[in-house]
This record gives sequence, structure tokens and C-alpha cells, in this order.
Amino acid sequence: MRNDAPARVELLQGTLDLLILRTLLTGPAHGHAIAKHIQRTSEELLQVETGSLYPALHRLEAKGWIDAKWERSSKGKRARFYALTPLGRRQLANERSKWETLSRAIALILNPLEKEAQ
Amino acid sequence: MNAFFRKLRWLVRRPARDADLREELRFHLEEEAEELRADGLTEAEAQWAARREIGNLAVVQEDTRAAWGWARPEQLARDVGYGLRQIRRDPSFSAIAIATLALGIGGIAAIFSAFDTVLIRPLPYTDADRLVMIWLDMSKKDITSKHAATPAEWIEWRRLNDVFTDLASSQPADATLSGDGEPEQVPARKVTWTFWSVLGVQPVRGRVFTEDEDNKGVRVVVISHGLWQRRFGGSPGIVGRTISINDERHEVIGVMPPGFYFLPSRDVDIWMPASFPAWMRTNFTWHDAQIVARFKPGVTLDRAQQSMGALSLQVTAADFRGPHSVILNPLRDEIAGRTQTALILLLAASAAVLLIACVNLANLLLSRSAARGREVAVRTALGASRGRLIAQLLTESLVLAAFGTLGGLAIASPVMRFLERLVPEAMSSPHLSLDWRVLGFSAAVGIVTALLFGLAPALRESRVSPQEALRDGGRGTTGPRSHWFRHSLTIVETALAVVLLTCGGLLLQTFQHLRSTDLGFESERLLTFETPLFRYQDFDRRVAFVNAEVEKVRGIPGVIDVASINLIPFTNVANATFYRLEGQPEDGLPTQVALVRNVSRDYFATVGAQLVAGRVFDTSDRRSSAPVAIVNEPFAKRHFAGRTAVGRRFQFGELGKEGYWYTVVGVVKPIRESGVLEEPKPAVYRVYEQCDQIGGLDAGIVVRTAIDPSSIVPAVRQAIWSLDKTQPIARIRTMEEIIDRQLSTPSQSTTLLGAFALLALLLASLGIYGVLSHAVAERTNEIGVRMAMGATSAAILRAFGKQGLTMTVIGLAIGLILASMVVPSMAALLYGFRPDYVPTAALVSIVLLAVAAAACFIPARRASRVDPVVALRSE
Repeated sequence: MRNDAPARVELLQGTLDLLILRTLLTGPAHGHAIAKHIQRTSEELLQVETGSLYPALHRLEAKGWIDAKWERSSKGKRARFYALTPLGRRQLANERSKWETLSRAIALILNPLEKEAQ
Repeated sequence: MNAFFRKLRWLVRRPARDADLREELRFHLEEEAEELRADGLTEAEAQWAARREIGNLAVVQEDTRAAWGWARPEQLARDVGYGLRQIRRDPSFSAIAIATLALGIGGIAAIFSAFDTVLIRPLPYTDADRLVMIWLDMSKKDITSKHAATPAEWIEWRRLNDVFTDLASSQPADATLSGDGEPEQVPARKVTWTFWSVLGVQPVRGRVFTEDEDNKGVRVVVISHGLWQRRFGGSPGIVGRTISINDERHEVIGVMPPGFYFLPSRDVDIWMPASFPAWMRTNFTWHDAQIVARFKPGVTLDRAQQSMGALSLQVTAADFRGPHSVILNPLRDEIAGRTQTALILLLAASAAVLLIACVNLANLLLSRSAARGREVAVRTALGASRGRLIAQLLTESLVLAAFGTLGGLAIASPVMRFLERLVPEAMSSPHLSLDWRVLGFSAAVGIVTALLFGLAPALRESRVSPQEALRDGGRGTTGPRSHWFRHSLTIVETALAVVLLTCGGLLLQTFQHLRSTDLGFESERLLTFETPLFRYQDFDRRVAFVNAEVEKVRGIPGVIDVASINLIPFTNVANATFYRLEGQPEDGLPTQVALVRNVSRDYFATVGAQLVAGRVFDTSDRRSSAPVAIVNEPFAKRHFAGRTAVGRRFQFGELGKEGYWYTVVGVVKPIRESGVLEEPKPAVYRVYEQCDQIGGLDAGIVVRTAIDPSSIVPAVRQAIWSLDKTQPIARIRTMEEIIDRQLSTPSQSTTLLGAFALLALLLASLGIYGVLSHAVAERTNEIGVRMAMGATSAAILRAFGKQGLTMTVIGLAIGLILASMVVPSMAALLYGFRPDYVPTAALVSIVLLAVAAAACFIPARRASRVDPVVALRSE
């Protein structure tokens, strides 16, 4: 539907959800903080685009995995804070194990030598 | 479920959420800017960089809203609203588009309702597609190819066949009801007790008759729902009641459901047991039984045809006329008859008209797309994706199509009233209505239509490059590719119009031929009716009564002449009898048959028949004198080609040596006794007084009037009832009504196809006009340059005229080729007549070229009048 190259959106979609859920595990945060946290933690390798972030946040909210509340930010401004729901917590565990299985599988294929070496 | 309710809540709190989202994004921007400021950027630079980082804010908002789950419905609502605005903005375009669509959709919706009623809806019998009618193939015996069977054959087939679960026979009968109100003759059938089980039908009240009742001839009847309501007021006590039929007491044992009918006509009101008399059970020449049979499971039409063909040859091996085979016809085909071909042709024609309408609209929209290029470019620049644009443009088309469909439904109703006359007489109710099937079909057609005419323009418009279209002075012009596309669209519609015009022309030619067929008499101002004579079994009393009737009616003011005939022309199928000419071998029965009609002396003068040789009947032809006959030309030609028939003698075969010898005293031009569309067959006419040996009980009366024949009906009733207050009078119709009814299939289909063809011609010429007008408007500049360089008006006129006529001629050629391929499939509608294809095609070509020339001339002339100064200044 959008102008974005569809391949990238599709690849990012599930992953971005996982990253957002993981970020919120440490406590509620607003959109900007979530984006910055992902960027910094990934050593600036991952750039979260605003155009993907907010749709993702609202989608997760619609699914009931996260909750949103207006609160004061550290600088005293009104900001929309997102927090994990119990459902979101379960989902995170789920997504995480799926991701780990997938990445292990990909690693096995990409690095067959390591396997032989073991 | 939870998620769904959350989304629903969001939908309700929509404005608040929108404000939330804006605030959330503003906060994001501020945070970003603050961070950048902290990195050392100036206030202004930080604002800018933050805006750049976040990208297209509107798109972010829209995508986020999409996550709320209502994006698509909202988009749709917006697009529909936009479509409605577009309609208001360009009312003349919208009016043309909607009117075109309404005509196209209205036509196809109406035809579909008839098509559905006649050909799709289940017939009111259990597993109706397992039912088949069985006719005798007597084509080799100079009779008809599809002849009614005999009760004797029904008995043999039933005993010996191995392909049917059972067979039923149905014979004509007359039923005059009396005793409860006015005497009334109603259509009736004598059916075998197997009739109900073969059709798989049940009465709504009471029961049907049993094998025992049939065999014993018990006087019981099953009546139609219509008769029950009409004559007996829907009385609950009808079952068990005794009613008077032909002055005999019959017990009503059952009432059929409202939708029940069976061949030959929807208005049969009474079914009584066939109760074949003993002589009929072994007589293989009494052809009046319609046979319907039900296939055993697994039996196909082909197999049944083979098996029954062989069985019939075996059963009739000893027939003095030689053995004959049978023809099996599926019940649906039997009922639909020629209407089937007519409806298929009309459905195809209405689809073609709709297709032409779509092509026209597509062309109109393409013309408009140049003008809309800018708008689309702005949308693209603002972030609309191509898919989104196509969705929006298609929604606009759908809105147009929706209005067109509504208009079409309004048009469909009157067309349906007209089409009702096309529903075969054998089917239950001729009433066509806008039921949910027609509505569903129309809606589907509307959607398909919108895609047909909207897709090409939508695909093209959405391809506009914003940079080019928005550049100052950019014209968003169309390239040669689109010219090619639009020209081929025009050619397609021209070709379709040519096919329709050609088919319409051929049907019209056929119809004129049918209409102008020499019926053998003058049909104008001729009133006909029947007075059943079951109360006059005694021959002398019968003749006296008929003569009295004729004299009474003659006394009515406005009546020129009155005569009687046992069977009124066109209203009865056959009634043929074997005869033997003087000099033919006397042992065994002769094999030739002739129609036999008993008339009063004034008959030929009254109907205006033409005498070819000899004399008509006169007062010298009385009961006591030597019997005489008048034959028709086919009879004379069959035996006495080139010689005179007058003075020859014949007798009726069944009577053997006891029969009278009739002397031929005159020859008349053939009267089409069996039907307007049937070729005349050999026929013999006798005077009533001399029919005491063989003669029916029917009495038809024909009245020639000086005034409108239907105006004397009350006086006729009074005249007959002054002789006998309880005498039923049946089937009062003018001859013109009878003929119209017989010609209703060709006349309705010709009229409708003609209307479609003219509509197609109009739309196609509008199409040519539209494409050329657009080309002229688009090329005004170029024309200006050419004229400034010295091109004359005439040269410009020629150039554009040539362009338009080339399209027309190509379309015409394709159309004529297509038409020649379509014509064979409409053979059934040509009634054996071979209309000449060449003059029709020539006429169609001339009309089309003339109309197209006019459609080309107007824009071409406009082009030739372009003032170079004005044209170039507008640059």
C-alpha cells in the first residue's frame, strides 16, 4: 500500500515488533525513547524510522500486547508512554524463541565450518 | 475478540485519538530537535533536521491510523464521497455516463429476468431434468416430424421399455363448468394415473386419482389452484364437492399447488382420468397423446433415444403406414422452445450494448484523464501510492456505475412488462419481477461494468509522472500509444454495433416476411369464439343450434357476415383424417391424411378466402343432396397437379365402404389452419349439414364486422344466451389477437433486438464523435501551426475525416465478418425463412457510414475552422 519498498517492510515488521517489546521489558517508555534505545543498543546499526515506529506501536496496542498512557516525561512534558501488558510479555517470550531458532538455523547454514569444527 | 472491541472503541473515539496522535508526533519532533540542539545545531537547523528525519508527517499519520484497523473502510468512504463530488462537478459528463450505463444495465437486467424465469429456474417438478417428452417421428409420412403419440403406444412403451421409471399420457379435453354461476369452458386434460408420479408432484389439498379409478372411469377430477380460487372462492370444503363438468357430475378430489402447470398451456384448470375406452387401447392411429417420461437413474438422453427408437419401430412394425421412430426432447427444451434461442440472442445483444457503453465510457474517461493529469500529479507528489490512486479512480467509476445500475433498474421494469409476452405459454406465470436474483445480477453487472470502463483509465492516469505534469505549461498530453488504444476501442464498439444491426436487420426481414405471409384469408375485423356443443349429441339438433347461433349473431348491428367452423384457424394443432380417392386401391387403409374442417355455407365469404377453381358452397348443398367438398391447393397439387381437382371424389378411410363419397366442387387458396408459422397442409372442407358421419362437437363462430370487433362482444353474449341461457361461450378473441400471440416471439425479439441495435449504433457514433472531438481539442496547436504553414481548411477537414472514417471502415469490416459467424446460430428464429444477408449487410454499411460520417464531420469541421492566430496565441 505504501511507497516503501515492500521487501524491507516485510522483513522489518516482525523484527521491529520484537525489538519494541524487548525494549519495553525494562520499563515503560515513549516512542522517541524506544527508537533511541534501539539505535544506541545496536551501536547505531539499526535505524528505526518514525514512519515504521508509530504504526508498529499502534498495531501492538491494537493487539493488546502493549498499553499506552499519557504521562510526564523526565523533562516534565506530556508524552505517550507505552508499557508491556502480561499478554505482551508472553508474546515476547514466544517471539524471542522463534527468533532464536531462526537465527540459529540461519547461522548453521551460513557457517557450516563451525559445525564441522565442533 | 478483545482486540476487535478495542478497535471499535477507537473508531468511536476517533477525533480524540487523532488529536492524541498529532500530539504524540509533535512530542517526537520536539525530542528529536532537542537532541540535535544538544549535538550543537542551531534552533532552526535542529527543527529542519528533525522534520527531515521524521519524513512525510502526513504519511506517518496515515500509516499509523491504518494500524487502528479502519483505514480501508475510511478510505472507501472518502473515495465514495470524492466520487460523488466528481459527479456534481461535471454534471453533463455524469449525466451522459449514467444514462449510457442505465440503458445498458437496464436492458441486460430485464433480459436476464426473462432468461432466468424461462431457462434457469427449476421447473415445478421433482428432478425436472430427468423428464423428457416423446414424440413420433412421422416426417417420412408426409405428416409432421414431431407428432403426438397414441394411447396404444403409451401402453406398449410402458410395458416394454427399459429406460424409464414410468411414462404418462396427457390428452386434450374440454370441460364446461355449469351449475355454479355462469357457464364457463375451461382448458382441461385427460391424464393417465401415472401423470402425478412421473412429474413427482403432490396436490396441496386432497389427493390425485388412482390406477383403479383411471381404469374404471370413475368421475373424479383434480383442479388447479387458480380455478379453486376463482370459481370456488378458495372454499376449504372443495375436496369432496361434486361439480358439473359437461353436464356430468364429477367429484373434486384434489387441488394442485399455485405454481403447478404442464404442457401444453399454463391455464389448464382441470385434470381428469384418461380412462381410455377399449377401442383406443389398440388403435395406433388415434394421435392425440402427449407423452412425458422419467429416466431411470443413470440413463442418458442418447441411450433412451436409441432404446426408444428401436422399441417404437418394433411396436409399429405392423402399422399399415409403415413403422416409425420417436424423438425424445428434454422437457425444458420443449417448454422453452424457440424462446430459448430468442433469449440467448437477446442476452448476448444486451451484453454487447453494455460492452459498447463501457467502451464509450472508458474513452470518455481517457479523454478526461488528460485534464485530470495535474490533480493526479499533485496527489502523487503528496505521497499517494499508485495502488491508492487506482483504488480511488476505480471507486469513482463504481460510484458512477452504482447510479447507472439504479437508473438501469428503473428502466428494466417497463422492459420486463414488454418481455412477459416472450415467456412461453406453457410456463406457469408470465410475470417477471425485480426479485433478489435480478437485483443480485444487476449489482454484479454494475461492478463488472465499473471495472471494464474504469480500469484502463485508472491504470493510465495513475502513471502520470508528477514532475512532467506539474511543470509549467506541461500539457499532460497523451502519446501515440494511447491514441492507438482509444482507436481500437472505437473500432471494437463499431464492430459490435455492426453485428447487432445485421442480426436485427435479418430478424426484421424475417418478421416482415412472417407478417406478410398470405394467411389465406383477411384477418382484420374478425371476431372469433367457441360455443361447445356437448349438449347437442344429436346431429340434427346440433346443426339446428349452430344455424340458429349464426342467424342470431347476424342480427347484431355492425356485423357484416357470420359463419361457423368446427376448429377456428390457428387455434388447434391438427385433427387430420385418412381418406381414399376414387381409383385408389380399396383394400386396407389409405396412408394419406388431410385436415378436415366442417363449415357453414357462408364460411369462405365471411373469412375472405380466395377461390381458385370451381365454386364455394351454396344453398344447394343440403343434407339430403350428394355430399360435396372444397379442397385447398396443397390437396389439389398432391393428387392432381396440372389437372383439375373439381369433380374428383374421395371418401374417409375409417368408414370403409359405408362412407359417403364426397365430390370436390371447388379449390381454395390454402388457409394456414395449424398456425401462422406452419406451412399449409392438404385440407378438406365440408358443409355442416353433410357431416353426419364423422364430425366433432366443437363449434367455432367467426364474425366479420364493420366496426371494432371487440365492441360487439356483449351483444354476441346476449344473442347466444337468448337461445340458451346456460350455453358456455369460450375463447372470445379477435383474429388479430390470435395472430399477434402466435407472432409474439418473433415480434418481441425483433423489436428488442432492433432497439438494442439502434442503441448500439447511437453509442458507437457517439464514441467516434468523442474520440475525434478530443483529438481536435488536443491538437489545436498543431492545426494552428499547419494552417500557418499554408495548409488549407479542406486539407485539415480531410485529414480528420479520414482518421474517423478509417476507424469506421475497419470496425465495419470486422463487424460484418463477426455477423456472418453469428447468423447461423439464430436459425431457429428465422422460421425456415432465408433472409438475404447481402442487402442487410449493405444497408447496415450504408447507415453506419452515414452516421459515422456525420459523427466525424462535426469535429473535423471544427478543426478546419481553427484560427491559427488564436490557436498559437493560446500556447
